[in-house]
Amino acid sequence: MEICKSLMIGISLGLVAGAAAAQDYPAKDVTMIVPWSAGGGTDTIARSLVSQAETCFGANINVVNKTGAVGAIGMGATSTARSDGYTVGLVTFNLSTYGLLGQADLSYGDFDLIQLINQSPGAITVAANSEWETLDDLMKYTQENPGVVTVGHAGTGGAWHLSAATLAKKYDASFNYVPFDGSANVRTALLGNHVAVATTGIDEMKQLLEAGEVRILAVNALERADAFPDVPTVSEAGYAIEAPVYDWRGLAAPKGIDDAVKAKITAGFKACFESENFQALAKEKGLPLVYKDPAEFETFLADMETSLGAAIADLGIGK
Amino acid sequence: MEALNIVHGMATVLSDPITIVFIFLGVFAGVFVGALPGLTATTGCALLLPFTFGHEPLQGILMLVGVFCGGIYGGSLSAILLRTPGTPAAAATMIDGFPMSERGEAGRAIGLATVASFAGGIIGAFVMTLLAPKLAAIGLAFGPPEFFALTLFGLAMIVAVSADSLMLGVLAAAIGMWITTIGFDPIAGSSRYTFGVRNLLGGVELIPILVGLFGVTQVFLRSEKLLVFPKSARGETYLPTWADLVLTKWTAVKSALIGVFVGSVPGAGCDIAAFAAYSELKRSEGPESDLGQGNPKGIVAPEAANNAATSGALIPMLSLGVPGDAVTAVLLGALTIHGFEPGPVFFTTNLDLIYALFAGVILAQLALLIVGLSLTGVFARLIRIDQRVMIPVIMFLCMIGSYSVRYSVFDMFVALLFGCIGFLFEKTRIPLSPMLLGVVLGTLSEQNLRRSLIMSHGDLLIFIQRPVSLLLICGAILAIALMLLRGRSKTPRSQ
Repeated sequence: MEICKSLMIGISLGLVAGAAAAQDYPAKDVTMIVPWSAGGGTDTIARSLVSQAETCFGANINVVNKTGAVGAIGMGATSTARSDGYTVGLVTFNLSTYGLLGQADLSYGDFDLIQLINQSPGAITVAANSEWETLDDLMKYTQENPGVVTVGHAGTGGAWHLSAATLAKKYDASFNYVPFDGSANVRTALLGNHVAVATTGIDEMKQLLEAGEVRILAVNALERADAFPDVPTVSEAGYAIEAPVYDWRGLAAPKGIDDAVKAKITAGFKACFESENFQALAKEKGLPLVYKDPAEFETFLADMETSLGAAIADLGIGK
Repeated sequence: MEALNIVHGMATVLSDPITIVFIFLGVFAGVFVGALPGLTATTGCALLLPFTFGHEPLQGILMLVGVFCGGIYGGSLSAILLRTPGTPAAAATMIDGFPMSERGEAGRAIGLATVASFAGGIIGAFVMTLLAPKLAAIGLAFGPPEFFALTLFGLAMIVAVSADSLMLGVLAAAIGMWITTIGFDPIAGSSRYTFGVRNLLGGVELIPILVGLFGVTQVFLRSEKLLVFPKSARGETYLPTWADLVLTKWTAVKSALIGVFVGSVPGAGCDIAAFAAYSELKRSEGPESDLGQGNPKGIVAPEAANNAATSGALIPMLSLGVPGDAVTAVLLGALTIHGFEPGPVFFTTNLDLIYALFAGVILAQLALLIVGLSLTGVFARLIRIDQRVMIPVIMFLCMIGSYSVRYSVFDMFVALLFGCIGFLFEKTRIPLSPMLLGVVLGTLSEQNLRRSLIMSHGDLLIFIQRPVSLLLICGAILAIALMLLRGRSKTPRSQ
């Protein structure tokens, strides 16, 4: 009897504590795991998103970089963290391809999704002194001289490789793909004329475009990018494609978070996302922000996996 | 023009004492994290980054620059005293630094490292100020073939420097390079030697290998013999003697110039700069020198070069928006968060900030000299601590350092494993330095070899058709040839 009583008290105390946890959330600092290295594009976005978390989120958010394994270490750490709402993580494009490329057993189903942050289209860029003025020049040249033109990209099976390769595949253009370790190295190689063409995120070329060092032949998207009104889409340049590959970044939490806590997290990050500070930074960087709530984000990722699965199988690089 | 700008920049920096305090704080913190095995300048910058958000951009950035310079210098302290490079950049310093400290000349070695770091840093900072835009353009000429040739040159040199037998040297370097093939291969997009272990997908982290190979091995070796280090001579000063400075002055100048240039090549960091300067020293000293056995020049060359390379690494970051190495990647992130966009237009739009930054880098070198010289006594006293206390402390630091790279227990086991490997190598007289350089350069070497061959459709001529790469490959062949000639002309060294 006594045991039963204390058990009851224990359970009810536990329930009260649970409810209180949701009500008080956030009662302490939150940790955000970033799966890419400090100083990189993803890290910069994460840090600026949470730089004023005290006001928009209601607590400090500390960024921890857990890098390695093309992001699988950090995203894996988020998926297995305690689901008390005090650990969240950045998830990026690679989450869509781990399974398809046979790299890691990790997919969006392992998370409670919070929101999409950005969705960036790829760009096809040449150096300012290049002989190709338009996408048409480049494609015609490649169709006549297969395998000659070198295209630098940020890693095999990555967003920018797939972005260019799906386009080339459709129009029988045979490029010589040179994989680099990240887009920064692709930019250097393009400036040093070590590769003839670069495929990167369009925002990653903003600086060089403004400095007159490069020419963006086309944006590989259905619509022009806001920050680059003068750059034509691939279809305007004469090479239409139905489902271009986009890079994306979003936020996710470990699976099994209390619904009330999750609602608070979602609202908190939305406030940070909408803050003037973050919007201004994204605008300056030419980063196309796209918000999707948890349900929309899930649909987006399901669609993404379907279209990427087809693209990867088509290129013959999958497992 | 530059002179006027730099005076103006100096005035901006000096006008606010808080800025100077920040530089000193940064350097101090940098020396501290750098000296702890495993914690690198990159870690230090990443840890302090959030702290800079609330401050003036210039102050925040200069504090991080201070951490950068201090961290690269601090790594040499543990390399000299504990035979555990605090940062990869100090690995070359260890080759001659530790033998000196074994001889009881730890103070002399640290003093030299401090002054060489200062000299290298100052020369680097001035070269950066005067030549930044021009050097950035030269750095761009380094494409995949040149990078591959550079790594070949570095590996050939280290084999020639540290091995008595070509076979064992090449074997060690090859094992090192093989280790870097573990993990995700960005060229083919597949994983290699991972056996389904997620922790291996990103490859084996460099820091745990470094810590294991040198730190943990050292713990094992010391425990075995409870080996007692010769104590520093009493009343020794840590200021280098005039004679030492005269002896090493040209080494310092030449190495600093090599350092700032190598540092300015995107992708080659302070560690590669240090090895390049050490290789060049080895070449110019000839086969008969006592490099590797505690030659003061062997400390000055890598230390001058790696601190000069800090300035060098800032060049492509500021002028191209391309980070030269991991630390500058963090600095680039910091500048971005503070609202600046380094890159080709940065030099024209933010001239005041740039020159204030340059002035700050020069001041950071002075801060380094002051902090360094006042701390060397404290650090050098470390080796007088009883071994029974020191061994667990070193082991503890090794584990913390391995863990902290990516907060991974797995990496602690990696360090232990490499401790065992290092211990076995020591016992079988397989040299550790070529293996270390194999690990440092492996990825760069392999990927650029494959990239070059993709570019040339498999034609090896690409390496000799390009002058820079041809030159470097000839240097590599020469190094090995000299080593073989030396081996033939002399009786085999007794062990």
